[in-house]
Amino acid sequence: MSVSETGFDPELYKRFPTTGERPPEEFERLKRAWAAPSGIARLTAVNNNFVGLWYVSTAFLFFILAGGLALLMRTQLALPLTGFLSQETYNQVFTMHGTVMMFLFAVPMMEAIGVMLLPQMLAARDLPFPRLSAYAFWAYFVGGLCFFASIFVGLAPDGGWFMYPPLTSTTFSPGINADMWLLGIGFIEISAIAGAIEILVGVLKTRAPGMTLARMPMFAWAMLVFAGMIVIAFPAIILGTLLLELERALNWPFFDATRGGDPLLWQHLFWFFGHPEVYIIFLPGAGLISMLIANLSRTGLVGYHLVVLALLATSFISFGVWAHHMFTTGMPTLSISFFSAASVAVSLPAGVQVFSWIATLASGKPQFNTPTLFLVGGLVIFVMGGLTGVMIGLIPFDWQVHDTHFIVAHFHYVLIGGAVFPVFAAFYYWMGMTSRRPLSERLGKWVFWLMFAGMHITFLVMHLTGFMGMPRRVYTYLPNLYWEWPNLVSTAGAYIFGLGILLFLFDLARNFRFSIDDQAGNSYGGGTLEWLPNGLYNTRSIPIVHSREPLWDDPRLGDDVEQGRYFLPGTATGLRETLITSPLRAEPQYVQIMPGPSVWPLLAAVFTAGFFLLLTVQAYTPAIVCGILTIPSVMRWLWETDRPVPQETVDVGAGICLPTYVTGPSTHGWWAIVILLVVLGMVFLMEIFSYFFLFGIHTSYWTAPPGFVSLLPVLAGYGGGAGLALLGRHLLAREGSTVWSPTTQLLLAAGAIGFGFAVDLLSWREHGLDPTLSAQGAIVYAMLGWQGLMVALAILMAPYLAARTSVGLVTRPHNTTFDVVTLFLLYAAAQGAMAAVVTRITPGAV
Amino acid sequence: MRRWLLMLGGLLVWAAHFFAVYAAASIFPGDPAAESLALVATLAAIGANGILLWWTLGRKRTAADGFDEWTWRVGAIGAGLSLLAVLWQGMPLIAST
Amino acid sequence: MLEGWPPPVFDPAGPYATSITLLAWVLLAMSAVVLLVVLAALYVALFGNPRLRSRLGGTAVVWIGGIAFPVVVLTLLLFYGLSLTRNLSAPLHGDEMRVRVTGEMWWWRIAYLDGGGRPVVHDANELHIPVGRAVVLELESADVIHSFWVPRLSGKLDMIPGRRNLMRIQADEPGIFGGQCAEYCGGPHALMGFRVTAHRPEDYARLMEARIARESAVMSSSRGARLFHDAGCAACHRIAGTDANGLAGPDLTHVGSRRTLGAGILPNNRGTMMGWIGNSQAIKPGNRMPPYTVLSGDDLTALAAYLEAQR
Repeated sequence: MSVSETGFDPELYKRFPTTGERPPEEFERLKRAWAAPSGIARLTAVNNNFVGLWYVSTAFLFFILAGGLALLMRTQLALPLTGFLSQETYNQVFTMHGTVMMFLFAVPMMEAIGVMLLPQMLAARDLPFPRLSAYAFWAYFVGGLCFFASIFVGLAPDGGWFMYPPLTSTTFSPGINADMWLLGIGFIEISAIAGAIEILVGVLKTRAPGMTLARMPMFAWAMLVFAGMIVIAFPAIILGTLLLELERALNWPFFDATRGGDPLLWQHLFWFFGHPEVYIIFLPGAGLISMLIANLSRTGLVGYHLVVLALLATSFISFGVWAHHMFTTGMPTLSISFFSAASVAVSLPAGVQVFSWIATLASGKPQFNTPTLFLVGGLVIFVMGGLTGVMIGLIPFDWQVHDTHFIVAHFHYVLIGGAVFPVFAAFYYWMGMTSRRPLSERLGKWVFWLMFAGMHITFLVMHLTGFMGMPRRVYTYLPNLYWEWPNLVSTAGAYIFGLGILLFLFDLARNFRFSIDDQAGNSYGGGTLEWLPNGLYNTRSIPIVHSREPLWDDPRLGDDVEQGRYFLPGTATGLRETLITSPLRAEPQYVQIMPGPSVWPLLAAVFTAGFFLLLTVQAYTPAIVCGILTIPSVMRWLWETDRPVPQETVDVGAGICLPTYVTGPSTHGWWAIVILLVVLGMVFLMEIFSYFFLFGIHTSYWTAPPGFVSLLPVLAGYGGGAGLALLGRHLLAREGSTVWSPTTQLLLAAGAIGFGFAVDLLSWREHGLDPTLSAQGAIVYAMLGWQGLMVALAILMAPYLAARTSVGLVTRPHNTTFDVVTLFLLYAAAQGAMAAVVTRITPGAV
Repeated sequence: MRRWLLMLGGLLVWAAHFFAVYAAASIFPGDPAAESLALVATLAAIGANGILLWWTLGRKRTAADGFDEWTWRVGAIGAGLSLLAVLWQGMPLIAST
Repeated sequence: MLEGWPPPVFDPAGPYATSITLLAWVLLAMSAVVLLVVLAALYVALFGNPRLRSRLGGTAVVWIGGIAFPVVVLTLLLFYGLSLTRNLSAPLHGDEMRVRVTGEMWWWRIAYLDGGGRPVVHDANELHIPVGRAVVLELESADVIHSFWVPRLSGKLDMIPGRRNLMRIQADEPGIFGGQCAEYCGGPHALMGFRVTAHRPEDYARLMEARIARESAVMSSSRGARLFHDAGCAACHRIAGTDANGLAGPDLTHVGSRRTLGAGILPNNRGTMMGWIGNSQAIKPGNRMPPYTVLSGDDLTALAAYLEAQR
């Protein structure tokens, strides 16, 4: 019996593989559509083969750079009271080591591996928004390198990667070092979110037909969860950095206790992001282990469904553990007890995965090649880090070891075992996908043992250093505390680890040769789709998936795919296209037309980077110029997208016809805007949390808000805007109305939303609340500012839509760009109305 | 959407419960009211997980194909684990002095 | 014997640390056992004989090893941890002796409070407590976040601007217990140490009596006192009974009796005192005290001798 999710008849799958020769020119057309520009114009390429590789390389570069900083630190700490690094330098170096490893290596590396591998693994032609990937990469590349360069001129941040105010407020950090962190990292978060949207939609909507959720490679599952977590977690740090920068630049006292702010608000916002962040890094690593351990042992993953559940459970529970970084702040006992329970609970899914890996190794035929060594070694290291994680989940124990070297040891075990080793396993395993020669197995074993030994020598003893009372983040220590010998051991270990990395680089230089069509191939015998014969277009045709390791179960699959005997054997429209499938069962829904190479995402990224970085060095005029230039760049890049094609439906193979232009809730565009709105909504939710948090802490600083009467025009504006937007969408579907009227409704809607916002702002100004005088003023104006940003975007979007309408790009009865603008306007109206109400319901104390 | 909700139901219950008890402890710090509210939330979450478990297990038995069965199985185990995690989450209420 | 063993966390000297040490041992033992189980399973999975391997290679192992076993262990541990947390945070009686410790960049301001919460004795960087009695510390901060930690007496607790955290410490035997700031507070955070000295009750009573008397005594002038005034020291430092009443830096009324200088980083003697006054920036870069290289050796000696006498 067959069940369908979308109405697609699974019986149709039986028509594949098709028989008979494909037309000879078909393959050439496909190659032409996906060809990348050469020479300097190669930089405008958006194919995931290129962007993915650039992305991985850049992330790896940051790993090397931040690792170099670690060696500097270990050298300084080898002996007590050494002067190898000065205090200022050391404080910058440890801040940069943490920041770069977390924000510029770990998260981007996982996203990069996703961008590089996911389309191949899912047999999609590319990720659904190739230009967005390119933008995310370039923003990260330019922003990251400039940010890192700050250390060479002594302007690097020195407040720790956690940036706790008030140490990072202007009073105690008057230089621009802290701004470098806030703007540099704030900006890289945008890139991370862009990548997350790409990955979410890619995994849910572009899988090969038949690849149900139960057949996805575990790495794809992990990346799905990873991206979902970024969407929920990153808004907290975006808001945090925004508030701290506002406090620094405009003297708005969110975190200043003398004016009703509270330093702990930052810690809540930071760790609501910061702890999930650890799992954001670990889950893709875990996905890599699950996938590679099974493939390298020639068997299926044992307890696949339990591992999927473990990934999902980790993602949920990780949002209930943030305050375990705050056990020593004096929070109420009952509160921290709840966090302790969640911290213990989160170890359960980790245990499930560890035993699934062990069972998988036991059920298969593990080979002792380099990637397997890295996986097994990583597993051991990760288990040790997990166990110390349970220990510090118990509050009294944490009171002793919090902020000591015990913690440093703990999280290096977790992250090196759970992320770095799996990434190295992935390098070895997938090298054949992108390089003409694989890496050396013989050297690889040396690399592994040096890294494995170096890791333990450095960090095992560090647990003891912590018990001995040595705090973290110290640039030196006094003699006679017995701290000399463990520190010397750690330093020696760090150099051994470094030696392993050096050897890896040597191997890379010797053997890595980039190639698109002459790769070394599947040297480890993996069974998933990325090992199908491929080129820039990815696979010649898009196969049907019947199992988790299709290449093992159908030895003819590669040949059939290459001969074009499956879906979309060429390009049906002559353009770049991919198959959009349904999220649960991956049933074909429509053919998505994809944009090709463009310089605009690159320019937009450079201008965005310029805006943030120039703000940092207080070059306001050039910064604003860059900011303004970003807008047309983005619009220009989007302008070429969302174009209907002449053929309404096309034959995707075996006589199955699919539409080329679909609108509404099942489309990739709709999903992307909804995810973006979730991000914006999470920022807003965090604002509401901050609002009530500050109200609860220092209620005595709060004054009565403007009366409820002032709400009436505000709500009328927002309500009217929402109504007009809905009316516009309704009219668009009525073919009888004139060409202009639906878009006019949206223009009017944007105006009404702007009116609602203006009245709200004016009512607060008239009320006399000063954002520099109290935390209430600061947070109210911050919320108004955020709403102002939404209004500004709405006011940019409506004319953009009008311009598209005027040249006939807005199709009827439905149009994706129209939907996107409508949804955004509805969101902006709803957020504005809620903000206006929330800020008026708290009573004043004075 | 319904399918997602049932698949993730246990985890959603856990999340709702966690934020309920956290809110109770934060809004009424050091007040016995916090413990009472947390207790109510815990009992409600246990009930919700029980219903989910019963529901998903029932669906699992009558699933139309392997994939359907798989999603209900994930939902059922999720609800079971959530039940356990909620019990842990309620432990601060009974931890003795 | 391993140099530095037992480390402070495993060498508790009072009830609030002892119970955590026991927890730490239990946790370490649990971790060791679990690690051995995992390593053994991994060994069998990789190198075991086929019969053992096939028994290990099924979903049942994931249920047993990944769910059932951890659930039992973690439930017990969690209950232990939560109960201990409650015990250690039991409400105060209200009649405990109180000392206010304020974190400053990068030293500790200490004020012993009377029953009404008024400061009666001022000091810095060294805390004196009686043996066998819980002492409540009111932890505050004057600038950024610091964290107070004496591993042999208790876990740590942060000092946060705008908040007052209460912490109990108790020593069961006389002794000197070291500690240092645990929350990164910028600059020379690494060099922000302190000492807690536990005295027998009668010694403690005598010490406090003398100090309370000293707070209200009027001191006669001397060369050192004049130098102290003329060199500008008095602008930042207070010495009870003199015109030196600066509040920016550590109170020096009892500086001569301290074991250390510069917030727990130097032994206190004539030479180190002279060195510190002459150029503390060379010893603790970034601290708030400017160098006094203009003072002659003679002046430094006189100043150091004067301060040595402030006990």
